[in-house]
Amino acid sequence: MAIGISALLLIAVYFLPVWSIQLWAPQYPEGIEMLIWLNRLSGDVEIINGLNHYIGMKHISEDMFPELALLPYGMVLLIVFGLFVAWRGTKFWLNAWTLLLVLSAVGLLIDMYQWGYDYGHNLDPKAAIQVPNMAYQPPLLGYKLLLNFGAYSIPDTGGWIFAAVIGTAVIFWAKETIIKRKQHA
Amino acid sequence: MIALVAVMGVGLGLTGCKPKSPINGESTSAASGSAAEEVYVAPGEKDDYYLFTSGGFSGQLGVYGLPSGRMLRQIPIFSQHAENGWGYSEESKPMLMTSYGFIPWDDSHHPKLSQTEGKQDGRWLFINGNNTPRIARIDLKTFRTVEIIEIPNSSGNHSSPFPTENTEYVVAGTRFAVPMGDNRDVAINTYKENFKGMISYISVDKESGHMDVAFQILLPGFDYDLSHAGKGPSHGWSFFTTYNTEESHTMKEVNASQRDKDFLTAINWKLAEQLVAEGKFEEYGGRPYYVNRWDEATHSAVSTQKTGTKVLDASKYPGLVYFLPCPKSPHGVDVNPTGEFIVASGKLAATLPVFQFSKIQEAIANNDFDGDVNGIPILKYESVIAGEVAKPGLGPLHTEFDDKGFAYTSMFVSSEIVKWNVATREVVDRIPTYYSIGHLCVPAGDSKNPTGKYVIALNKITKDRYLPTGPELTQSAQLIDISGDKMRMLLDFPTIGEPHYAQACPASLLTENQVRIYPIEENNHPYAAKGEKETSVERKGNEVHIKMTTIRSHFAPDNIEGIKVGDKVYWHITNLEQDWDIPHGFAVQGAANSELLVMPGETATLLWEPKEAGVVSFYCSDFCSALHQEMQGYVRVSPANSNVPLTWSLNQTAE
Amino acid sequence: MQKITQILGILILGFILQSCSGSGTTTENTTTPVGKPDAEEGGAPDASGKVSPDYAIKEVELTIPLEAGMVEEGKTISEMKCTSCHSLAENRLVGPGWKGITTRRKPEWIMNMITNVDMMLAEDEEAQKMLEECLVRMPNQNITVAESRSILEFMRHNDGVQ
Repeated sequence: MAIGISALLLIAVYFLPVWSIQLWAPQYPEGIEMLIWLNRLSGDVEIINGLNHYIGMKHISEDMFPELALLPYGMVLLIVFGLFVAWRGTKFWLNAWTLLLVLSAVGLLIDMYQWGYDYGHNLDPKAAIQVPNMAYQPPLLGYKLLLNFGAYSIPDTGGWIFAAVIGTAVIFWAKETIIKRKQHA
Repeated sequence: MIALVAVMGVGLGLTGCKPKSPINGESTSAASGSAAEEVYVAPGEKDDYYLFTSGGFSGQLGVYGLPSGRMLRQIPIFSQHAENGWGYSEESKPMLMTSYGFIPWDDSHHPKLSQTEGKQDGRWLFINGNNTPRIARIDLKTFRTVEIIEIPNSSGNHSSPFPTENTEYVVAGTRFAVPMGDNRDVAINTYKENFKGMISYISVDKESGHMDVAFQILLPGFDYDLSHAGKGPSHGWSFFTTYNTEESHTMKEVNASQRDKDFLTAINWKLAEQLVAEGKFEEYGGRPYYVNRWDEATHSAVSTQKTGTKVLDASKYPGLVYFLPCPKSPHGVDVNPTGEFIVASGKLAATLPVFQFSKIQEAIANNDFDGDVNGIPILKYESVIAGEVAKPGLGPLHTEFDDKGFAYTSMFVSSEIVKWNVATREVVDRIPTYYSIGHLCVPAGDSKNPTGKYVIALNKITKDRYLPTGPELTQSAQLIDISGDKMRMLLDFPTIGEPHYAQACPASLLTENQVRIYPIEENNHPYAAKGEKETSVERKGNEVHIKMTTIRSHFAPDNIEGIKVGDKVYWHITNLEQDWDIPHGFAVQGAANSELLVMPGETATLLWEPKEAGVVSFYCSDFCSALHQEMQGYVRVSPANSNVPLTWSLNQTAE
Repeated sequence: MQKITQILGILILGFILQSCSGSGTTTENTTTPVGKPDAEEGGAPDASGKVSPDYAIKEVELTIPLEAGMVEEGKTISEMKCTSCHSLAENRLVGPGWKGITTRRKPEWIMNMITNVDMMLAEDEEAQKMLEECLVRMPNQNITVAESRSILEFMRHNDGVQ
């Protein structure tokens, strides 16, 4: 039952931002925010581009992320699969569901790290400001100081829902696997 | 199901943990508890310092009191100012004359107080006009602009005025290289071949303060950005930060930012003086330039048009100019109080180089060169540097000094002031500024005897610091205490235009010499009426000259008839008052210029061209007395062909 | 050392100025002329900065016959600085007419009124009465004591003294 509801909850992820990257500097006390959705970017992307061009970072645009075209379909598959698991309700399918969710989350994080590495290291050699030995890779999760900017990277509502769905799956899986094993023992 | 809710709860909880503004911490006010007391100047009390901030794109100068930050006055310089008739009155119009005609605006950047022996002398303040290259001189006895000189063979007059140790000269440099000489109509892509830089030395007469173009030095087509003159041991030299050594002419944002090192240009102006005296200059003709001077006796400005300057080609005279390599696109260059150390700020550089004057001299003596540009030697960086301030902050721009051997450098990108020890070049303290500081100012911090109480941050952005006023927000400066080990934020205060740079001096330097009135006996204005007996209305063809007086609370005459449509009417208003703070205003309906504000003992003139017949009123626009509202008069305008005789009167009523 | 003397100089200057403003409480709005003393002889503020009553003119010696040079000078100054508001007849313009003034007022009163109107309006009942009547404070026209003496001579001439 919970698996079914949680799978359906994933529909909400279409309508909510998944990830949020926030930046602060003394002259930006209100912060600058970029939101990542399943299929698009929003927030102060152009302000970030304006600032980052001084140090030679690439211009962020949706074309830069082929993932944005694929993610909505991937999510459909997940939801359908989740409903199927709920309908079958067997241990095997629960294991498979949990594994799939965890793997897709890890995959997405690795993908994001790789993008961040490239964005922060692969700089235009003609940039106006060049600080020797400095790279600007944004943090994958949490806070990091990049020159005058504090950068903060964290899941947004959609991301938390996704995390909650994974969490739910893991808890059920744990209940089924560990607690039942104990009862058998 | 419960698990689902629980996990979501944790997630929401975490979202709530986002740091609010990790850079600035909880409060961006950063002012300590006693700050209010330290900047409070009780009603009736006076401030300790004068602060002069340039108005940036307003073209004017703001005058403030410190520590209160209270605005005292706006002195009009390069821009017309309807508030007191500057640039509208007949007397002041010539002040804004240039070789391009009457120019009602400029961009004023760097106020500089005159110095004698490297110390503030309280006589004049100089300020540059960026767009139509000019330098203005303000008399600090009257707080008025008394001279504006146009700089020939120049463009983008940014590295200006930066006086020498005894104000022998003020300087003007090209931030934009341009084609020089007679053929200036060349293809832009012939930049490297045809575009040149020019540094002008403008002499300042010791007594009168009168400025003149003494000589000019022709240089490669780089961008000469900012300057300071040497003092003490380095007296006789000027230093100019120099970027775009790439000599690019397009997309400079990228193309002028390619080299790791640009230059600091060192000019031996004493040698230049000698060369000029020996007649070793080239005479440049070309475009004329204007010298506009205000005469305190006639209360009027006179424009003089001049042509021809003495030019020294730097590449022809060894020893005149040297290039010192300087990290990436240097902006500010500042000389410490002893005159031995020269700090140049590479705005795109990660370190802050401190050059040493004695080492520069040594390197020159030893021919310690690293190539040349068109015969101008480049000194070896390692030979002329005392050391570098490592990792001072981001985007260093400008440095001023205190009386304890510390330097204060503004950091544009990281929006902070960094305090460091000039001897050890160690950073000892830093304080954030709100936001994006450009120049900074320590009262007398550019002289041989700096003060050590305050530093003023001159910021570019205010954002959320003040009540919002639509898209255009106030500009602002900040007062910071530097008397202790830690800098302390005391006050934010709004300013006019952009507070680009500022000068500050102890109030006592100026208060003693303030002019309170202009003695009416000494008024030599050709149309002055020194007493009501001398008032008159005179017709010369279609020109009518009205010699009128003001005193609390009437005009004399206050009834005038016989003016005709199509006349050019000159209202020459003499204020007969001889008491401090009793100006009178003059406004006439339909005047297409502004009001006049006439100081005690002064004469000022407003041109008025009536367009239709009728009776028109005029009045005093500056509240002068209990009967100010009665201070008014009438002028009758008749058709062009009418026979109404020219009459004027005061206190005459029909029988 | 030079610096110390400079600081001392400023301190002393500050001290003098401060004591000046202290006495300002007795004479409201008193301005101490700076850099341009408006009284060359007598009546100049002394070092303590006291303006009243030392500043006031206490005794004026009148001579007969009139001094022609002073009458002439007084006339020139009056036309520049006074007759905008004072007629030479009895009628009032802004201020009272001058006819008969030298018989109505003591010479000291006239000269104090010309040279130190702020003190007079603060302290002198007669002067205060005039203000109530005319409503405009008589302006300080920056006239020296010597010049006011010439104006007085011109007033006497206007009143028929030979």
